[in-house]
Amino acid sequence: MIRLDRHSAAVAAALLAVTALSGCDYFGKDRAGVQTGYRGTAMEQVYNEPAVNAEFAKVVIPEALPPVSPSTDSGPLPWQNVQVLNDISVAEFNRTMVAMSTWVAGTGNCGYCHNLGNLAADTTAKGEPLYTKIVARRMIQMTRHINSQYPQHVANTGVTCYTCHMGKPLPNGLWFYASQNDHLRHYLDRDGARVISHDMAPSDKNRSSVKQTEWTYKLMISQSNSLGVNCTYCHNSRLFSSWEEAPPQRVTAYHGILMLRDVNTNFLAPLQPVYPEVRLGKAMGDAPKAQCLTCHNGAYKPLYGAQMVKDYPAFWGRPDWNGVPFPGRYMQAAAAEPAVEMMDSTATPTVEVAPVPAGTPATTPSTPSVSSRNSTPRTTTGTQR
Amino acid sequence: MATLSFERKYRVRGGTLIGGDLFDFWFGPFYVGFFGVTTIIFSVLGTALLVWGAAMGPTWNLWQISIAPPDLSYGLKFAPLAEGGLWQLVTICAIGAFLSWALRQAEISRKLGMGMHIPWAYGAAVLAYVTLVVFRPMLLGAWGHGFPYGIFSHLDWVSNVGYQYLHFHYNPAHMIAITFFFTNCLALAMHGSLILSVTNPKKGEPVKTSEHENVFFRDLVGYSIGAIGIHRLGLFLAMSASIWSAICIIISGPFWTKGWPEWWSWWLNLPIWPA
Repeated sequence: MIRLDRHSAAVAAALLAVTALSGCDYFGKDRAGVQTGYRGTAMEQVYNEPAVNAEFAKVVIPEALPPVSPSTDSGPLPWQNVQVLNDISVAEFNRTMVAMSTWVAGTGNCGYCHNLGNLAADTTAKGEPLYTKIVARRMIQMTRHINSQYPQHVANTGVTCYTCHMGKPLPNGLWFYASQNDHLRHYLDRDGARVISHDMAPSDKNRSSVKQTEWTYKLMISQSNSLGVNCTYCHNSRLFSSWEEAPPQRVTAYHGILMLRDVNTNFLAPLQPVYPEVRLGKAMGDAPKAQCLTCHNGAYKPLYGAQMVKDYPAFWGRPDWNGVPFPGRYMQAAAAEPAVEMMDSTATPTVEVAPVPAGTPATTPSTPSVSSRNSTPRTTTGTQR
Repeated sequence: MATLSFERKYRVRGGTLIGGDLFDFWFGPFYVGFFGVTTIIFSVLGTALLVWGAAMGPTWNLWQISIAPPDLSYGLKFAPLAEGGLWQLVTICAIGAFLSWALRQAEISRKLGMGMHIPWAYGAAVLAYVTLVVFRPMLLGAWGHGFPYGIFSHLDWVSNVGYQYLHFHYNPAHMIAITFFFTNCLALAMHGSLILSVTNPKKGEPVKTSEHENVFFRDLVGYSIGAIGIHRLGLFLAMSASIWSAICIIISGPFWTKGWPEWWSWWLNLPIWPA
């Protein structure tokens, strides 16, 4: 027989007790594992399901306003000074305005952007520039630009004002020039996030400094925090630089970086002269700029993949959304026509993509050679909105 | 193989844990025993399964052969042999062999009238292994969380798991485990060099005694733990290293899913800092 002395018996009992106690609550019940690579490679995400569900529950998605009946518009728009959104029907225009007030300024708060005495004006009653309206107009162009030009990043989920604003005038994660967030310049005008050497032996070919390395690390960690994911969401840590071994999410993220550079360079930063001083950076007086966190807010998909834009053609910027043709102002006349032809028709104004003022986006590194683009990340939990 | 002169007195019958006199004999210098037999069966079977898995492809390159656990989708169920079932059988064989070995150590210890220090010490290493491939996968709900059996592939697994917690060196239990491993290494180096020195004196000088050993370390570091003490310390350091290793991996996932650097927020969140 096994003769256990008191000490051994106590250790065994303690081990048993710990196993039993922890076993009751666990056995995978509240841990969700998502596999993203070949079995056994630990290419996976482990989530605390109740914690993710709690975050998920915090995200309130405004219900889509009832759709408007097909357009019967004819003749010019009944308003003055409509520089964007002039390709949708009057009813759709009004519906879009109401939705925007909910998404950004608070329901019914038309006065956040408009001079209530003269809705067409770009100035207040006192004649001061109405910066909120000018910025909002540019943001509409930006939203259409993102939805039309970056399907590799926003796929068919797309973005609306609510994606970043979530009911508040100022989105989360806006950044300004400051020494503490120098790494975010990568989303604007600085390249060179790659700091590792490709040679076996150290040489003086790679002049990357410790500071550059820290920027890269901070950049990566800020992406990780912004999306609530770990390093292996986008990389196989066996060889961080390898696109072949990386999950497809890395390609999505890469297009996201290109998108941010475009958005920051061509839409957000140039608004600097429009803003009042209180909205500008304290150190350098620069305009607020976006980063991953601005849209993602800690979720691997913004708003956990809620598809809002499909209900708001004003923000599509595409001739169709998932096969539903863009309901332009003169929808009725061309309702039976396929979407693309309708866009080509001279009777319908084409969807205006914002003019790009300041040249091409900052340095664009060569496109990675990965064939599987635009692949949707696997879901965290069972529920998907 | 010749038997050493003093060995005969240690070849004591009895003291077995199971099976009475069954297999209670020596094969050359090796004690067999019931658990020796089970060790052989499990290890031969497990190794054969590994070779079978290697034969299934795609490589015979010793560095790259890998027997991987099932996909996470199998959860805690059995998987088909070619899709991780083999890993499950190898795991069962490995645990069978390791536990058999520990129990054989226990039988030998009983024959020699020793304490159970050796089986417990070895058991600490087995605990770390079982934690990796059984306890943690069970707590996470899928065998697929275990590590693959391959030279390079298990290193890739370690790397990826580390980066899942952003920076594994911030795992407090990992810190403690590493500290024990390094301290254990230091203690062994100090002890080993001391013993080699005292047993290999200059030509014409006698082998030194423990008094000499104590004086040396009292001169060098101000303290000598002594001949028995160093072995007690070694046992403590080595077991602690293994046990804290097991702790550091069992808390990663089942009890903490974020980056380990973030765990240290408790320090910044203490109410002692000025606002």
